[in-house]
Amino acid sequence: MTPTRPSALRAEFATFFALFSRGLRSNFAYRPALLLAMLSAALSYAVPMLVWRHIYASGGGSKAVPAQALFPYLLLAGCLNFGFAMNVESRIGQRIRMGLIATDLLRPVDFQMAQLSQALSDGIANLAFVLPVFGVACAFWGKSAFPHDAAAFFAFCASVLLAFVILFAVSFIFVQATFITYSSYGVFVARNALQQTFSGMSAPLALFPAGLRAASEWLPFRHTIHTPVSIYLGWINGSAVWAALGAQLIWALGLLLVGRYMLRVSLLKFEIQGG
Amino acid sequence: MLTQRAGEPRTPYPNVYLAAFQASLQAKFEYRVDLVIGVVTSMLMQGSALSFLLIVLRNTPGLAGWSGPQIVFLFGMTAAALGGSEILFNQIWLLPQYVVAGDLDRLLTYPVRSLLFFLVTRPELHAIGNLITGSLYVAWSLHTLHVPVFVWLMLPVWWLCGTLLYTSALVIVGCLSFRFVGPYSQQLLIPLNLLQATRYPLAVYPSWLKNVLLCVVPYGTFHYLPARFFFGKSASFWGLGLAPVAAVALALLAQGAWNLGLRRYESAGS
Repeated sequence: MTPTRPSALRAEFATFFALFSRGLRSNFAYRPALLLAMLSAALSYAVPMLVWRHIYASGGGSKAVPAQALFPYLLLAGCLNFGFAMNVESRIGQRIRMGLIATDLLRPVDFQMAQLSQALSDGIANLAFVLPVFGVACAFWGKSAFPHDAAAFFAFCASVLLAFVILFAVSFIFVQATFITYSSYGVFVARNALQQTFSGMSAPLALFPAGLRAASEWLPFRHTIHTPVSIYLGWINGSAVWAALGAQLIWALGLLLVGRYMLRVSLLKFEIQGG
Repeated sequence: MLTQRAGEPRTPYPNVYLAAFQASLQAKFEYRVDLVIGVVTSMLMQGSALSFLLIVLRNTPGLAGWSGPQIVFLFGMTAAALGGSEILFNQIWLLPQYVVAGDLDRLLTYPVRSLLFFLVTRPELHAIGNLITGSLYVAWSLHTLHVPVFVWLMLPVWWLCGTLLYTSALVIVGCLSFRFVGPYSQQLLIPLNLLQATRYPLAVYPSWLKNVLLCVVPYGTFHYLPARFFFGKSASFWGLGLAPVAAVALALLAQGAWNLGLRRYESAGS
């Protein structure tokens, strides 16, 4: 008896899963690199925390965000940002520069979703390393580092997933510039600068000056850090949680579609040298 | 075993380092779009860091007694030192890959001082963005604060010391690649993040971190200590002149780490 041929959709999902698990294995194969990256990230996240600590200890700061809420916010924001380090720009940028994208596009797998699967494996590996750090902080800070309630925790998990997709989609759009520049460095730095400025990574939006805050409200970056952490801490609650998740979903789908369109346009003009 | 020892041959051409640097720089300038994007994005990155300072200053009038323009001076000097290292000595970021691939073999056959030649042969053009932003921050800060003329005259010395201090720290940490061979360079982010920590007055940090930034990796000597003196926060004159001493000491340590590393270098084999 010949085995039944799986549906095309099922086969495609199996491929995505294979890419995901291969990526995960390769991430864990370079454990020293991941640990070193964690150490340096911890150092960079510690700087804003220490600056805020000094401000609050010397009587400054804002009543809108008390110290016992600010520090769990900053730690969770740092952990999420580390978890979201997904190498999209370097991976896709390298394939564009070397012309390997031609081979990728010949495969019977959706290019964007295949890249998302690999990015997801980066995210899972990073989160696996960073979870113990957050666990220690929870033990240290106690209740103030715990989720607001069970519903907030589940909404937070959904929000993190959507935040990841938003950040992936933004990176995917930015990396299209590599079709012109053939270098992914500038693309990565530009995206990273905007992410650091507008995501609420170094401070909750309530502490932003009015102009910066208004700009953040109009950009997708706040949905990558500020929205999930605000849900976790209960700053966004009740029906506002559904509104926040809805906004994240719209951004995620919209940006994914823009990315697909831009890839199609870029490929029309793209030339690969060979012979 | 491929090594270059203390008595390594010196090049008969004293300007060979300059010629190599110029050739590498010319090659980089061929990529015009990369140049523009690199400059713009590095300025964006500095702007992003400054946005955090704006957030901080919205919630407090100053940090540890330092006003906004005074902190901007620290921001500017840090950006300029980073840019200096990136344009003059950037190749250190590729050392781990060179060690893994055994690509140092060719360098070790050249009649040159291997560390200096290695460092100068890969300038990065996004450094220009950091240099421009850093210079603008410093000029705005010092102009606003009406500092004495000697401060303006000393700036190139402090900038050069900052560049050397940061590069030396990168070389020392980078040399760990000879011991722990692997195709990753994340360890080099540690000196970078320590440098960026000095954008804020060191007084805001716990004493252990302050001591690290003043004594172990003495980044604080090229901008924080001099600024403490000429901004009137300390009467100690010594802060003005410590940077060259620290830079030379760390550069010697970096050369020592490089020599030790080369003794362990075994090439890739085939």
